[in-house]
Amino acid sequence: MDVELAKPFVKAAMDVIGTMAFITPRAGKPFVKKNSIATGDVTGLVGLTGDGKRGSVSISFQKGCAVAMVKNMLGDDIQDILQDVKDAVGEITNMISGQARAGLAEKGLVLQGSTPTVIMGDNHSITHIAKSPIMAIPFETDAGNFTIEFCFE
Amino acid sequence: MATLEGFRSKDFLDQITILNDIAGSKDPLALSGLIDLFENPTGDTGVDYMVVGVLNSVLGTSESAVVQGLGSNSQRFRTLCIRTAGEYAFASAAAPLIGMAGSETDPDLLIEILAALAKIRPAGGNAVFRAFLNHEDHLLAAMAMEMAGVYADAAALPALQAALSAAEASENFEHCDITTWKAIDSLAAIATPESLRFLVENVHHKNPTARRIITDALVRLGETVLPYLDPVYSTGSTDDRILACNIAGFIGQRKGADALVRAFDAGHFTDPNVRYAAFEALGRIGTLKGLVCLVDGLEENDELILMAVVVGLERHAAPGVLKTISERISAGTENSPRICRAIIAARALRLFQELYKDELVGDHLIDALRQSQDQDILDAFAQRLVEIGSDRSQADAANLPRARVATRKALAVDDSKSMLALYRRILTDLGFEPLLAANGQEAYAYVENGEFADVVITDMNMPIMDGVELVSKLRGSLGYDEVPIIMVTTESENSQRDVAAKVGVNAFITKPFKPGAIKALMRDLLGD
Repeated sequence: MDVELAKPFVKAAMDVIGTMAFITPRAGKPFVKKNSIATGDVTGLVGLTGDGKRGSVSISFQKGCAVAMVKNMLGDDIQDILQDVKDAVGEITNMISGQARAGLAEKGLVLQGSTPTVIMGDNHSITHIAKSPIMAIPFETDAGNFTIEFCFE
Repeated sequence: MATLEGFRSKDFLDQITILNDIAGSKDPLALSGLIDLFENPTGDTGVDYMVVGVLNSVLGTSESAVVQGLGSNSQRFRTLCIRTAGEYAFASAAAPLIGMAGSETDPDLLIEILAALAKIRPAGGNAVFRAFLNHEDHLLAAMAMEMAGVYADAAALPALQAALSAAEASENFEHCDITTWKAIDSLAAIATPESLRFLVENVHHKNPTARRIITDALVRLGETVLPYLDPVYSTGSTDDRILACNIAGFIGQRKGADALVRAFDAGHFTDPNVRYAAFEALGRIGTLKGLVCLVDGLEENDELILMAVVVGLERHAAPGVLKTISERISAGTENSPRICRAIIAARALRLFQELYKDELVGDHLIDALRQSQDQDILDAFAQRLVEIGSDRSQADAANLPRARVATRKALAVDDSKSMLALYRRILTDLGFEPLLAANGQEAYAYVENGEFADVVITDMNMPIMDGVELVSKLRGSLGYDEVPIIMVTTESENSQRDVAAKVGVNAFITKPFKPGAIKALMRDLLGD
């Protein structure tokens, strides 16, 4: 049941980004993706396996949102904005994946998560491994938007 | 036996050893100690995390403790018990959970309660889920819809139908909500005559993603759906009829082919696009009646329709079929060269090999082959001629011309095999090297691999990634901002064309078209 899997990730994203980057995201209407391609400026991607399931979760940030998170997390201590954005998105993706998986483990659904991969590049695309429809949940923040997408089979 | 007495004062290694022992023995006597550790964590994340896991597994052996925990004052423990009740599908937890579903207002907790009930699946649970079909939290509503399908809850039909219809409102049709997806899947799972009729009536839903999900759901249901397609053939709009033909083709049952043949005989398929779709479907199914109908299709003048007919016949080349095609070609009518060209363009090697046995028919086919400008096609037939191994075929193979060397490339995208075969011919005629793809995602893969096309021809509605999305991605890709893009469409709605024009389509052409028309359009756009 994908909805049940989605909820912990939504909750974890709100928690982690709120706590670590002091940004309050507003969740929008979840929708179904026509294709398996995620588009964004900075994307954190985690592969998940376990319990006979296989899937991937991606969080794609618009540039403005990613930069705002780094600024909030590091303050004036930004050394190299590109490297710092990459680290921050990787770290945040890891925390979201970890928190969501801990929630799912309490329901008896134990998933292993891969180390996040971060892809950067204006308006890049990445491909999920999936045959089933992909659910996407859009979030708005004052600094820009981000989208969580995930698919399981 | 491991005990939790003095647990907090023990060192880390002892603590995890004890917890490990309890996880193995699942000793119910450890329950109260574990609950205390859960309520008042030790502060060591590793240990606390393990406590949750061990408590969950011990609770799994004690249904009564879980049910009792559902009434706990601690929300944290209550949530854990809700999850455990679901995980182990404890039947006696259903009644208290149903009670909680009626009074709880927090969407996060509600989703836990409903998820647990979904796993327990108590008798009469459908009424609980039905109450959430229109919930403002989309994830909750989606879960309720999914369960309406699991319970085959006919009483949920009005809400599911309303959800699908609401997604057609003009401002909504660019995004497909997950509730729309779940409503479609549930309508298919309920599978009453009413729900199936409703899905069939909505095959041409305004939202392209919803349309795709409806088609997939109907194809999955298979033969049950066929009777509901029949009325569409006679009374549906052109687009409805095309989609109904596609679905019948994908389902691939004899009954579906029979209904298509009946609709042909009754004169319901006058529109060339519908005829194309119907022939394609008959080719896919391949029953005897369908083959007879396909053979009649050899009389068609439209090259595109003829291509669908030939692709269908190639799949099921039976002796009777071969004899008729042979007669049509040797009759020397106006259509004879068209049939030959279609056989070559569709790369119908099986038909070719059999038909070639007749010398006169073979010569006609070789004439058509010599006109091809597609080196791949020339090579494929040359190889087959060599394999045939007669003196005549060896000589024909040796005398085939070389195609002009293409200096430009063109990308053609369509989910129909016969359309791609037609594009291949048109493009090679114009001296392009064709790059062919069955959907937007395949097409975009060429771009990602660094291929460059001088012109792009794309269908609008395709699975996986449709034409509009492909064009918007192409326009954002290096080197593709100015490339002429032609969209081929059967769509009647202007709104969809507007969307396509907005993302950067240069010109539209409506199916069916004469190959000359698209060639002229391409020359025009490329300034040749």
